[in-house]
Amino acid sequence: MTQPSSDETLCRRVAAGDEAAFDALVARHQGRAYRLAWSLLRDAEDARDVSQEAFLRVYRTAYGFRGDARFSTWFHRILVNLCLDHRRRGRWWRRWLVREDGEGEVDRHPAPVADPGERLGDDQRRARLWAAVGRLSPRQRAVIVLHAQEELTTTEIAAVLDCSEVTVRVHLHRAVSVLRQSLGGD
Amino acid sequence: MHPDPERELIGYATGALPEPERERVAAHLSACATCRRTVEESRAVLDGLAGGATAPPLDWGRYQAELRARRQARGRSRWWARPLPALVAAGVATAGLVLALQGLHRPGDLAPADESALGARLPLLQQYRVVERLDLLEDLDAIRHLDGVGGAR
Repeated sequence: MTQPSSDETLCRRVAAGDEAAFDALVARHQGRAYRLAWSLLRDAEDARDVSQEAFLRVYRTAYGFRGDARFSTWFHRILVNLCLDHRRRGRWWRRWLVREDGEGEVDRHPAPVADPGERLGDDQRRARLWAAVGRLSPRQRAVIVLHAQEELTTTEIAAVLDCSEVTVRVHLHRAVSVLRQSLGGD
Repeated sequence: MHPDPERELIGYATGALPEPERERVAAHLSACATCRRTVEESRAVLDGLAGGATAPPLDWGRYQAELRARRQARGRSRWWARPLPALVAAGVATAGLVLALQGLHRPGDLAPADESALGARLPLLQQYRVVERLDLLEDLDAIRHLDGVGGAR
């Protein structure tokens, strides 16, 4: 039985013009890519568009992938940067869409819970936490999503965001502080 | 002294602290209820987020078809658009341009037709004494008027 090709091998084949390798990479990562983009953007259409754009970047620039880093780290970097750029570009018009009573995009698109079989209390707690994630600054949100959802270490997050690990910890601490407050009397 | 919450306590809560620091913070936590509570609350938040959020469902067949269409619309990047070939191509183009410009601006040169005409008249030119005094046939105006000189002789 043959071993499935690693991401890094597939990426090198994409660089050599192998279309099937690209399709394999997309099939392998599309779910996580879309979910990560959605967690950062909280808009299904935007998440679909930006995650597809990330795959197109991989297709066009696969020759620039250096084997010294993992493909997932390289791909996360492309995707997260696209999401942060997307939010930055959309900031001016987003203000017009946020209602004056304080209801923002996150409240209009509350994050569904991961496991519907959990107890109601945990569901509510998780829903409240993920809703509060949407109110974090873009960088804090990226750090908390990469850590809590994608299960990246602080070292890996630093590589994705191209910053120091200490900076990641500072963002993480501040994000957690905001989220602790969102739980209020829990 | 309390550990720095932005660097050490969150690092401890996430298991990111290296061993010497981790031991020092652990020793502090055993004696400090305030910091211990901060770590516990941070862990509770991170545990509460575990598993992540679930994005709205997507039609993956449509997703891949759209991606394929976008890929075909843009096409693969041309080999010459890549950094190294682009630099080489730019260098070759620049060198070619410089050579072409140099070729255009050589006023002392003669066109091939002029050179062949002069060559055909060399035996005739050798009959004139004035030619001996010309410096390497540089005075083209004098050469052009040699016929008149010959007629006057």
